[in-house]
Amino acid sequence: MVATVPSPPEKRQKWVLLAYRLPREPSTPRIAVWRRLKRLGVAQLLDGLVALPLDARNREQLEWVADDIADAGGQATMWIGHLASRTEELSIINDLAEAVAVEYRKLVAEALAACDLEDVGRRRTLGRLRRELRRIRQRDYFPPPEAQQARVAVESLAKVAEVSA
Amino acid sequence: MIWATRTSVHIDRAACAWLIRRFIDPDASFVFVDDAAEVPAEATPFDMRGAELSHHGDDCTFETMLERYKLADPVLWDIARIVHEADLADERYDAPEAPGLDVLLRGLSMIRGDEEVLAISRPLFDGLYEYRSRTTLLGREPS
Repeated sequence: MVATVPSPPEKRQKWVLLAYRLPREPSTPRIAVWRRLKRLGVAQLLDGLVALPLDARNREQLEWVADDIADAGGQATMWIGHLASRTEELSIINDLAEAVAVEYRKLVAEALAACDLEDVGRRRTLGRLRRELRRIRQRDYFPPPEAQQARVAVESLAKVAEVSA
Repeated sequence: MIWATRTSVHIDRAACAWLIRRFIDPDASFVFVDDAAEVPAEATPFDMRGAELSHHGDDCTFETMLERYKLADPVLWDIARIVHEADLADERYDAPEAPGLDVLLRGLSMIRGDEEVLAISRPLFDGLYEYRSRTTLLGREPS
């Protein structure tokens, strides 16, 4: 279920965008920026142009990335806007939802596989998957059905681990 | 002194305001602005883009403040780890308290204005400081 997206242009999803350029070398700041953007779950629109749904937290997080880019000798500007076309908006939202869905599916598979492990391995995996679930949820802006499936899978694993404890 | 920061304060700014009042400037007053251009000339900005007292590299503003004001108190650095994870969640530190503190402050800022968020979170941070001081003294979790 993709979150309800309002259809009139004035009610369209607002986005915060970061347009940036960063020298190719040294590569360390480039990689650091890329990691931070990946953790935030950005939509990569072009090389050097990323977007997140607009809210105070996302805006702030991108501001820090923009500062880091400037510190590393690059250029960054922040933009706030919405898409002119609803079709394109939906396409970006679907891409974002699919990206986290892939992560959720992997987590479900791991949770199922862990049910067959011995006690210690199962509990260790449970802890790791709970942290992983929290991480994915932080960058899940348009929850796909897999979000609920992942939660159920981790809870089921917790129950199995509890029974055997 | 007058200190300026962005509106809609969250964990890092609330923690910094507490730190400022308790350890740096007891008479501090705070103004909240939407844009760096609105910072009054006499005010010291913090946790804002371009400000000296802000995020630097992987550090959040609370960590930057401890560095700049040479606050070596280990309890403050312990709290800094929690604030860092509540603000950035980059798993640099193991701080299980962070997600809870993050949610509390986030919820608080939904129902109260900035001044009130600072007023309410102050005893919260005082308590956190006390708890961690005792933990450090005892070498175990205080009961």
